[in-house]
Amino acid sequence: MIELAELLRAVVGEKRVLLRAGELRSYESDGLPGYQKRPSLAVLPGTRDEVIAVVRLLAERRVAFVARGAGTGLSGGALADDVVLLGLHRLKGILSIDAEDARAVVEPGVVNSSLGRAASAFGLHYAPDPSSQAACTIGGNVAENAGGPHCLKYGVTLNHVLGITALLPSGEVVQLGNPDGETDGYDLLGAFIGSEGCFGVALDITVKLTKDPQSVRTLLADFSSVDAAAHAVSAVIAAGIVPAAMEMMDAATVQVVEASIYAAGYPTDAAAILLIELDGAAAGLDEDAERVVSLCRAAGARGVHSATDPAERARLWQGRKKAFGAMGRISPALVVQDAVVPRTRLPEVLAEIHRIAERHDVHICNVFHAGDGNLHPNIGYDPTDAAESARVHEAMSEVMHACIAAGGTITGEHGVGLDKMPYMDALFTADTLNAMCELRAVFDPDHRANPGKVVPVHACREWHAAPSAWTRP
Amino acid sequence: MTANASAVRGFAALVMDEVQRARADKAPLRIVGGGTWLDAGRPVRSDRALELRSLVPPAVVHYEPGDLTLTVSSTMTLAEIDRLVRAEGQWLALDPAGSASGTIGATVATASAGPLASAFGTPREQVLGVEVVTGRGEVIRAGGRVVKNVAGFDLTRLMTGAWGTLGAITEVSVRLRALPAADRTVAVSASAADAVRWLNASEFTPYAAELLSPTLARGLGVGDGATLLLRIGGNGSLVRAALESLSSLGEVRSVDGDAWSRLAAREQPTSAVFRLGTRPSRLAAVWERVTTMLERVGGEAHGTARRGVVRCSIPLDGTEDEEFARLRGIIGALRVDASLVAERLPASLWASLVPAAAADTLSRGIRAAFDPDHIMNPGIFGELA
Repeated sequence: MIELAELLRAVVGEKRVLLRAGELRSYESDGLPGYQKRPSLAVLPGTRDEVIAVVRLLAERRVAFVARGAGTGLSGGALADDVVLLGLHRLKGILSIDAEDARAVVEPGVVNSSLGRAASAFGLHYAPDPSSQAACTIGGNVAENAGGPHCLKYGVTLNHVLGITALLPSGEVVQLGNPDGETDGYDLLGAFIGSEGCFGVALDITVKLTKDPQSVRTLLADFSSVDAAAHAVSAVIAAGIVPAAMEMMDAATVQVVEASIYAAGYPTDAAAILLIELDGAAAGLDEDAERVVSLCRAAGARGVHSATDPAERARLWQGRKKAFGAMGRISPALVVQDAVVPRTRLPEVLAEIHRIAERHDVHICNVFHAGDGNLHPNIGYDPTDAAESARVHEAMSEVMHACIAAGGTITGEHGVGLDKMPYMDALFTADTLNAMCELRAVFDPDHRANPGKVVPVHACREWHAAPSAWTRP
Repeated sequence: MTANASAVRGFAALVMDEVQRARADKAPLRIVGGGTWLDAGRPVRSDRALELRSLVPPAVVHYEPGDLTLTVSSTMTLAEIDRLVRAEGQWLALDPAGSASGTIGATVATASAGPLASAFGTPREQVLGVEVVTGRGEVIRAGGRVVKNVAGFDLTRLMTGAWGTLGAITEVSVRLRALPAADRTVAVSASAADAVRWLNASEFTPYAAELLSPTLARGLGVGDGATLLLRIGGNGSLVRAALESLSSLGEVRSVDGDAWSRLAAREQPTSAVFRLGTRPSRLAAVWERVTTMLERVGGEAHGTARRGVVRCSIPLDGTEDEEFARLRGIIGALRVDASLVAERLPASLWASLVPAAAADTLSRGIRAAFDPDHIMNPGIFGELA
């Protein structure tokens, strides 16, 4: 390993290869609490050419690696267990912004909100807006096919990437998608997005930018039951209105947010609130807003308040986006879970989550993308308490199975990583999982890129038969 | 509403039997859904048809209108889906070229999109999950029926637009939309440059905004020269304001909404059709050059301005040798500043005029993984082996 470190140092410089335990500590975990995995070493290239040289070196020596952006992922996808960690956060270049064609070319380490800021000079923005957008990178967003509140109207990362120059684990550079025209043949770009670092590394990403809306309305609707709020969500969508975002927070979340420095003025006696944003051409917006207000009232809202100025709008959103932070403040660790159910099943699944929490004596707060049926049940707990950790684990497992039973899925935007692998067998058939293994093997025949993630090894027939194609350094 | 879901599982099993038999016999299959695409000339080296409609009857697998998602067997036609969901005040925003008797399975397999892709994207953006019988004779169920899903590698995107070469689609889940309160189709006479400028500056997002070449506009009865055909939907105030804003581009003429199905059905079996792609900012220039040339050879074109996509149709009437030489010249000219994908050609000319798709190493690896014996639609990408 010392030898590999020396070779890597020759590529990226002395200080950009980390070996000592103390140096590696901040790379031992990501946004998923309860897991710590120490990489064998961390290598932090600063340029595209360095990334290519590093990956080629690892390929020659058949060394496994895990690519990592900002390490904000919530599924343990960027954990490197005694393999090389390839940090891409130094590749921060916004290579171009083309306002006329509303697109940008960025390096993988560009922070989501930095791209948004750079685009704002042209009246444009980058639409996917994960709650971690102030820290997470576009490369990480691509790996996870990240979403965010505004994906209800604008779509997830997949819908905003026009092309990627990808570096395969073999060291070969390939162009996926065609930003300048149409493509024929397989949707390799679509397959790469959301592949959680198992298919290779994005060297540059061409993203679509979205025109800032002419007008925005942000509404806060307040309900005395979660059921009523869930019904309001369905009623709005059924009416043909597509809000830019429609977020639900339950009583537990509202109270935590209001007790924090992010207090947004949410009603603390509400059983649930909906934060509904409408945007687009000014002309149709008032009619839609009036319709949403009356649909919420018909579903039983106690009140619907419209933000009167941009400052209030920002405050209402800050409460939502910082809800995880507010929860983290009161617990040593916070599991931010992610699952999706068909929208009409929200009331019964939320009730079931409530029952699961009571049964296991854990405290679950729900703050989520209601318009998409994308749940985020969160549990604050103390990871040093083994008994509590076990109860949290058991409760989460039951929540996942409840979502699967309701016709849903185990992740809508966080990825499978390590955390969700135990549920893959319940969601997919053996032949389907094997097909995923086969697809991965095309991009990475040795399974060296992010080994041991996404698809359980036992599901891969050929891989299972020959499990040692790579070596630890 | 859940109808005969278990029966459809049974139908996938029937398809599986056929594929396994073909594998054993080393007899390549030509996959046929509704059969409406067969005249597009895509070459397939096969003597045996996998007639999906005889194995997988059109059926609703799952439809809960409140979820705005629909799961059906792959042989349901777009017209059948439209009838079903319209009764619930919903619609599927896919309008590929051809007639509505095309199946949803074929629409997904070919990733075919029409003018509505301007606002709603192609099948890639609207398909939530698929069930596929792969060339290995295995049934895989990719994606799901929820609108957000990142569980596992994205086999759904992989199957969308794979032209059946990885497997035969037996079930599809799609996203639906609620019908808008107002939905108007209008035409405006405008040059491509002016139309593109209006669209770029506009706050409105028309459901469709399609440039029509002069001959095409006349043929559809919606204009006399270069025309922008628009479909504008939403609430009443939005649509009124959009139409008013559009009047700055030119006189706004109300047009019968059937113009869209006439446009979709316009391409003749005896024509060559190409899809060009370019950056939206280059579209007006490409459009002017292409339409000038097409008018000269009796062809027609329509273009989705926001996507930078132009669909060109050229009538064929000469002998094969004559057409080969003529089309080679036309393709060369169309390709300037644009990518080109063939949509329709005489089968005999396909391989010599269009480079094979999916010929790169990754694509070949994927093909080998899902269809190791090369029995699913071999040749359809123009590939030789």
